[in-house]
Amino acid sequence: MRARRIALLLLAATVLQFFLGASRHRGAWPVDWFLIATAVVARGGNFTRAVLAGASAGFLEDALGHDLLGMNAFAKAAIGYVLAVISVRVVFGGALAVGGALAAASLANDAIVAALARLLLQAPIVLFSFDSLSRAAATGLAGGLLEAAWRFSWREWWEKRRLRRLR
Amino acid sequence: MRITSPRVEVFGGRPRRGGAVLASVLVFCVLILSAQAPARNRQGSVLQSWILTAAAPLASAVSTVSRAATGAADAVLETFSARSENVLLKKELAEKSRELFQLRAELDQVARERRLSAAPVLPRVVGTAPVLLVQRRAGLYGALVGAGSRSGVVAGSPIAVAEGLVGRVVTVGRGVSRVQLLLDASAAAGARIVRTGELGVVRGDGRGALTLNNIPTASRVHAGDFVESAGIDGIYPRGVPIGRVESVSRGSDLFLEIRVRPAAPFSRLTDVLVLAPSPAAVESLGGSRRAGS
Repeated sequence: MRARRIALLLLAATVLQFFLGASRHRGAWPVDWFLIATAVVARGGNFTRAVLAGASAGFLEDALGHDLLGMNAFAKAAIGYVLAVISVRVVFGGALAVGGALAAASLANDAIVAALARLLLQAPIVLFSFDSLSRAAATGLAGGLLEAAWRFSWREWWEKRRLRRLR
Repeated sequence: MRITSPRVEVFGGRPRRGGAVLASVLVFCVLILSAQAPARNRQGSVLQSWILTAAAPLASAVSTVSRAATGAADAVLETFSARSENVLLKKELAEKSRELFQLRAELDQVARERRLSAAPVLPRVVGTAPVLLVQRRAGLYGALVGAGSRSGVVAGSPIAVAEGLVGRVVTVGRGVSRVQLLLDASAAAGARIVRTGELGVVRGDGRGALTLNNIPTASRVHAGDFVESAGIDGIYPRGVPIGRVESVSRGSDLFLEIRVRPAAPFSRLTDVLVLAPSPAAVESLGGSRRAGS
């Protein structure tokens, strides 16, 4: 994936984060769009780009809403690497697998941030809270749906629909 | 090696340069984190302030579109649900009337106490600001609000809504500021139980609730007691509602374990009030700036 595309992907993630974040119903669909952007880059199998895209996404996320710059960058760079390893070694066969991997990655992101917050801010470790689980579920679901939409043969479907109408 | 299953294929590939890049990025992150950690309670870094300033136009534009879209969707849905909502609202109104009666009685009591203790009046409101983003991760609760140094916001300004205290500003950009919410696992505020007058410290538990600490086991506090800011921490002004006591249990040998239900509706914040910072906060900010310069 080219650098320009990665930048566009990160911009899209930021816009989506703001679009849903400004809404009164932000709690209903707490998707981690930055993680999805990282996963999309990691899927290409290029380790360097996956790590750098993860770090950039994490920095953006930290700058926009977290106490210390670098916590999410650390977590997302590591997750980008792991997802790139997975995408090189494992070929996922469906939306369910992609959704599951993203949900697990979201929980791992939370665990890394919690550990860093414990070390640097002396904050109590909060794992598997309702927020964390709902974000993992929403991110997994959104990732799964995007994968399904990406894999779906829209052209064939459109042709079939057109032919059915002509009959 | 190649393992194949119906849904997943596993290969024996090997990352090359990626490991080195990952190690350098992680080391870079650790260095940046270490550099910021000691200053976390004063104000956000200059870099964060710049990023917030740069993000302000995008954040404002996208949030305006988002608010318009969700507002339109809500208006359509509300048209359909108006009748059933009317019945519910009537019931709610009756409950609120009863609650209002009780609150007026409590307010009289608070006013009497204030007169006795010659408390300062509630703080000046600097302005209102829309909530652009709320981030909740691993017990850390933060928000972006659409007001910055251009509107007179400074680091340390308390943030509230009509119902109660929300948090404080930690990083200020020109048009956008970052707020640490009271629910954050590392946030704390001096608090006072209105009925008994006892002082304690309210902390976020990182899971969406608050705990009131340092209240001795001999206290007469019980569920339903009203908790407000005490003005003893040099950040939050005195007399802003924080919440109501939800449960009281015996904790350690000396202190009770008290859970407080927040008064502010954190799950559906849309607009907030930016209050003038306490003189102590301004003084410490000025001091740290002088020390830094």
